[in-house]
Parts: sequence; structure tokens; C-alpha cells
Amino acid sequence: MSGAALAVSAAPSVFTWALPQSGSIDMPGENGLIVRSFRFVDLETPVEYFNTWLTPVSHFFVRNHMHEPSELSGDLANSDWRLTVGGEVDRPLTLTFSQLSKLETHSVVNTLECAGNGRSLHRPQVPGIQWGKGAVGTARFSGPSLRDILQRTGIKPTGKHVMFRGLDEVPGKVPPFIRSIPIEKALDSDTLVATHMNGAPLTKHHGFPARALVPGWIGAASCKWLTEIKILDSEFVGNFMTPGYRFPNQPGKPGEAVKPEDTHPLTALNVKSVISGPLDGASLKAGKVAVHGAAWAGESNIVKVEVSTDGGVTWTAASLGHDQARYAWRLWTYEWKANGGDYTIFSRATDSEGRTQPADPVWNPSGYLYNAVDQVKIHVA
Amino acid sequence: MSHERKSNGAKRERVFSLSGIILTAIILAVLLPLAFSQKPVADLPPGSMQAKATTSCLECHEARIILQQRLSKPAWTKEVDKMVKWGAVVDANDRDALIDYLSLNFGPDQPAYAPPRTSAAKSSGKK
Repeated sequence: MSGAALAVSAAPSVFTWALPQSGSIDMPGENGLIVRSFRFVDLETPVEYFNTWLTPVSHFFVRNHMHEPSELSGDLANSDWRLTVGGEVDRPLTLTFSQLSKLETHSVVNTLECAGNGRSLHRPQVPGIQWGKGAVGTARFSGPSLRDILQRTGIKPTGKHVMFRGLDEVPGKVPPFIRSIPIEKALDSDTLVATHMNGAPLTKHHGFPARALVPGWIGAASCKWLTEIKILDSEFVGNFMTPGYRFPNQPGKPGEAVKPEDTHPLTALNVKSVISGPLDGASLKAGKVAVHGAAWAGESNIVKVEVSTDGGVTWTAASLGHDQARYAWRLWTYEWKANGGDYTIFSRATDSEGRTQPADPVWNPSGYLYNAVDQVKIHVA
Repeated sequence: MSHERKSNGAKRERVFSLSGIILTAIILAVLLPLAFSQKPVADLPPGSMQAKATTSCLECHEARIILQQRLSKPAWTKEVDKMVKWGAVVDANDRDALIDYLSLNFGPDQPAYAPPRTSAAKSSGKK
């Protein structure tokens, strides 16, 4: 660190608040993540970590809406944590962690993405956590299938939606973080009450001891610190269903207000790709350059990722990685022979529904589902 | 072996250079954490509303949630009114000044906020 930088760190706080934050913050278990917020915790994965099919938990983004539960004991054998299942059912149920653990375990490799990933890239800018490109990651989630639990309760014909409540600690008069999903998605055998992530028990940041895992859907559907499941006859009514996590039925002009009745709840993720290397702003030597990244499409499959090194005039298909699973991203790579010059490299994914990333993002008032063609600017010497 | 043939003077020089390295290491060990240290929780910028904004907003969340926003005055007005509804204690007489303070410091034309990172793990085996 230069003397100038040392002087800066010792300068009065009147200057330091506005300067780039070059230091790092110690958070055990969270390795090299971008701190969007420390209290409550919101951590973003730098794109350079999107180089493995499974994202290590220590590099996996964290999105908390509120404070984490403070009373939760790590000693689950003696914990008073319970999962209750009630509402439109014949036989309400209460499970201890030990009872939950005895149910048959399923594993789903899922790309989990916050609906607001890429929010900071929208113009005009919108309020919310200003995620760059890294509020996304892929992990193997394991635990009982939600369907196995629900079927023990005898769902009444009136049961149409399934509500999740977590143990998030609510500050002030903030509405509690409660959301619901339609019964069809809840009864999909891939929807889990996950207790493990990449083979290890969930960490507290990721919802210990149990979370919903609604594969292919926006991260907010996968409620953490799960404690209550309730079958409802209609969609849950609350801030995080309306006006939260809704998308305009028709794309509007950037900056234009959208009437609540012209919106629908967000469900599955969009088709999207991100370049994880070279990094934006990189200076490289002429010759072979591996352009690489990840691409995902919620409940659909990636069929093609194309790369352009001439600003979008011509596109060439990238090679898709070997590892794949229904709800998981595909890694991709493209070997490019680079001559000297300044370049903007684009990546563009297409999925099995025929959806392709648009050149421009679909602006919306909360900045959800950003999925424009990705780009990095680099210099080749 | 070559070091056996060195004179006493050369040995002394080596001892000095060794102690120099150790001293440098000690200085770096003390200074580097200071230089790189980052308060987990950030502060709001100075201004006549700094103290009141700190009391009203940072009760529930830290300053970075504000520092990273780049919003127009109408958007800040909506945010402040939403937060008041959600329990932020803002004296009615301070509402407009708070909105002005946020709009001035965190308007759309301000450069993007550069967030810190969490420390990198010391051993690669702990992933």
C-alpha cells in the first residue's frame, strides 16, 4: 500500500466516507465476497468465482432481507426449533429436526439467483441492494422433498398455495418476510426443505437449520430459517408478494411508473449469461484468450451461448461445459485469438424455450430480472 | 561451503540485513492491518442531517444500504416515506431536510459506491 493510501486511511472521516473502500472486512466463512451490506448481511460473489460448476459455500452470495435469527441454537438435538405444517390440511404436523432428518433425502443442483441481481445496471437507477452481476450461485441442495411432508398432512381440495415463514428478525414495523408459491410448484418432487448445501449442513447465512428450495425460481421463493409452512386457499397477501417481487405485464418506458394491477408475481428465472473472464477492464497479451462464464435459464435448459468480440456484429457459439442438471447453470468457454486493440466482448445465451438475452434490459421499477447481453471491455496489447 | 568462507564483517552485515527484514516485517505487520482495516459498519457523510439520519436510519440497517443508492429526489421521497411507515422515527419537521440530505449526497450523478470485500480465507483448504 502506498504512502498516499496510508495517509488517506488516517485522514479525517470527513474525507474517508466518500473514498473507495479498499479494505476488507472479516466475516468467518465468507471468502472474498463483495459487502453490499454488513447489517443486515448482503454479500455478492465476484464474477471471477464463477469458474466452478458448484459454487463453494464460502463464495456463495448471501441475501438477507432482515436480521438473522439470534436465538437459534446450533445444538439441534436439544433445540426448540420446530417446523409446523398447517392451514388447509386434515392433519397439521409439527416436526423436530430429528424427525425431519429421518425423511428420505433428495438432492437438487440448483442455480439460485436473487431477483434483483444486476439491479445496479438498470438506468435510471432504482432503489434496493445495488447488486452487480454476482447475486447468483450454484449448489447441491439436499433434504426431504416438500411433497413428502405435505402429503403426510392430507391437503384439502381448497389448498392452492403454500406459504413459508422464516425466523428472520423484523426491525421496526417492517412487514415480516413471508411469501407463498402455488401448490403445483410445492408438490414438484424437486422442491425441497433443504438442510444441506454442497454436502454440509446449511450455514446460518444460508438458512440453518432448514430452508425452502424452490428450484429454478427467484431466490426469494426459497425462504431461509424455515419454521412454518401453511397451506392457503389463495396467494399470501403481504409486502413481499405485493408490491414486492412483482414484474410489469408489459414492458414500459424506463423510469415510468407501473400500476400494481398491471403486474404479476415473479416465479422462474430468466435466460442469462455472465462473463467470468476476462474481467472487465483487463489488459491482456495478444494470442489465445479464453473467454468463459456461466449461463442459466431457471426451469429451462441452456441450448446455446454465443460470444461476440466485434461489438455484436458477428457471433460464434461457445463450448458448453460437461456438467449439467435441470436447474443448474452451464459453464461455457470460447477460445479467441486476440490481436492488439480495445474490445467489447459480449455473451448471449439462448434456452430451450427459444428465449434469448435481449440487447437492452427490460427496465422495471424494482430492477428485477436484469438479463441483458453481458459485456466486458478489455485491452489487448 | 561458501558461507563458511565469509568474513566476520560479512556475517555482521547479514545479521544487520536480517534484523532489517525482521524490523520491516514487524512494521508491516502493525501498519498493514491499520491500512487495510475496514470498519464493518460504515458512516453516513457529514452534513447538518448526519446525526439525525444516523439515528433515524441506522437503527435498523447500516449506512452502506444508503451509500450505494443513486436516486432522484422523488425516489428518495418515496423511500423516506416508506421507511417512516416501516418504523423509522423521523420528526415531521425533519422530513424535507432528510430528503434533501439524501438527494444531495446520493443522487443519480454521484460516482458509484465502491464496496469493500470480506477477507480472503487464509488457507485454501477452508472452502
